[in-house]
Amino acid sequence: MEAGREQMKPEGLVYLDNNATTRVAAEVFEAMRPYLNELYGNPSSAHAFGRGMRASVSRAREQVAACLGARSADEIVFTSCGTESDNWALRGALELRPEKRHIITTRVEHEAVRLMCERLERRGYEVTWLDVNEEGELDLGALRAALRADTCVVSIMLANNETGVLFPIEEAGRIVREHADALFHVDGVQAVGKVPINLADWQVDLFSLSGHKLHAPKGVGALYVREGVRLPSFFIGGGQEKGRRAGTEAVPYIVALGAACELASHFDGFDTIRRLRDGLEDTILETFPNARLNGTKDRAKRLPNTANISFSYLEGESILANLDEAGVCVSTGSACNAESHVSSAVLRAMNVPYTAAQGSIRFSLGRYNTEAEIDYTLDALRSIIPRLVEMSPYDEELKGRNSG
Amino acid sequence: MSYYPGRISKHFLAPQNVGDVEEADASAETGSFVCGAVVRLSLKLDAETQVISDARFRAAGCGYLIAYASVVTEIIRGLTTAEAAAAAGLLQETLREYFGSPPREKEHCVLLCAEALREAVARYSQRVRDEWTGEEALICTCFGVSEKRIEQLIDDKSLHTVREVTIACNAGGGCQSCRPLIEEILEEHWREAEEGF
Repeated sequence: MEAGREQMKPEGLVYLDNNATTRVAAEVFEAMRPYLNELYGNPSSAHAFGRGMRASVSRAREQVAACLGARSADEIVFTSCGTESDNWALRGALELRPEKRHIITTRVEHEAVRLMCERLERRGYEVTWLDVNEEGELDLGALRAALRADTCVVSIMLANNETGVLFPIEEAGRIVREHADALFHVDGVQAVGKVPINLADWQVDLFSLSGHKLHAPKGVGALYVREGVRLPSFFIGGGQEKGRRAGTEAVPYIVALGAACELASHFDGFDTIRRLRDGLEDTILETFPNARLNGTKDRAKRLPNTANISFSYLEGESILANLDEAGVCVSTGSACNAESHVSSAVLRAMNVPYTAAQGSIRFSLGRYNTEAEIDYTLDALRSIIPRLVEMSPYDEELKGRNSG
Repeated sequence: MSYYPGRISKHFLAPQNVGDVEEADASAETGSFVCGAVVRLSLKLDAETQVISDARFRAAGCGYLIAYASVVTEIIRGLTTAEAAAAAGLLQETLREYFGSPPREKEHCVLLCAEALREAVARYSQRVRDEWTGEEALICTCFGVSEKRIEQLIDDKSLHTVREVTIACNAGGGCQSCRPLIEEILEEHWREAEEGF
């Protein structure tokens, strides 16, 4: 049982929280470094020094467009983060078509979309909340049924941040285009750099991404605005980004986002990440009778790096804190903090039993994880989980090999 | 740096008295509607003295709850049920003194432990009452103390006040409804003693 403590701990942390944020890639850091130092010009300046910055921003725009499979680099607008992109997409769409007061979204969106839609609902907009099934999958029939003449915007995520479940965006886009005159926004924050994206072929009007989820630093994102969509700007001021997003360009961060997208476009290590994730997931589900997977069992319909597993009848925070003690970083949907005690909205929408939702742990892998780290994590769990099971007052339920 | 502050972390990582007392005389489980945590407390008691000889806990909750429950099982050992009930009332201060003030979102963990302790003691008293088969009248139903036993203690230890009786055997220390009865017993006993019976 103490095997986890005996085994040599790999150098430093075992970071299995890549859906929260990622390490800035060395290549990305090198690319941005001069812009934090000697290349400090303002892209709006007329002089050659400034024009040089403009060229750097343009190159970054090309790199991001290529990564998203966009038709043109002009479709990319740089923002400060994924939340700004999401907020802008929704507010912009509503401002563009003020006569349309109906919004469609899902119950499992990131807060940047979900809480924004809740607020809009309080302000008098009508919101249709699409349900997911117990495996976290979306019913496209329900999307089709929800579309109306006054639907202004449909906002659906590509990959769920908690479970990694992928929504069929390509098909959803076709349905929206065919049955309504609405804008289609996709929150792609968790998907970019993890699954192929081809916006030129998808019927997507607006697409959000965030730099720090794909090895760029925090503080930069982008919104893809399909050519022809005249999205009103959210930031008013200078004429940056062709007047679509005022504010002096964060050149080092934009360069970093470009470099990160370039890196992602050529990344070929996903087979390794997938293999490590599969191994971790399979071993946990085989080893612990109270473990159950949250999200579809069909791995082709999930991000290759994410495993959300519930340890039923245990409390996620106590698992997280024990792993933390062992140097392993993960997330839980149930930790108490100053803001909230409630369990994950995503797991609730999936109808995950309360006693399982309480013990949910998200493992999200990245390009720097190794087999040794996964083995170390499994050993740590082999020491932690039985100890907490021993402590759980749900002893009767646990005896019955219940995973539910 | 640990996830929890010093002492909480220590008790969380190495909690005392985990599990259930074998053939427990009382146990109680309380759950939080705030965060979903559950704690169970089980006690072993000496029927004669009503002293807690063993206490164990189980918990599905955060590190605070586990650390608090662990400490509760430690501090109530050796206490009478009346003292334990009093300790439940003072638990917030006791734990704050030992661990420091919890962050606001963890305050309910203390209440959960206090509730479990109070409930376990109350259940024990209830059981004693229910199982009472003695011939003589039961005066203190909270702690199952008979008239005969109170008289005996008054005589043996020369008790003169209700307070002294409560200290000696818990009687009158619970709901306090039997205090007038104890008063009567005391008066009668000492009157009879004076009259030379």
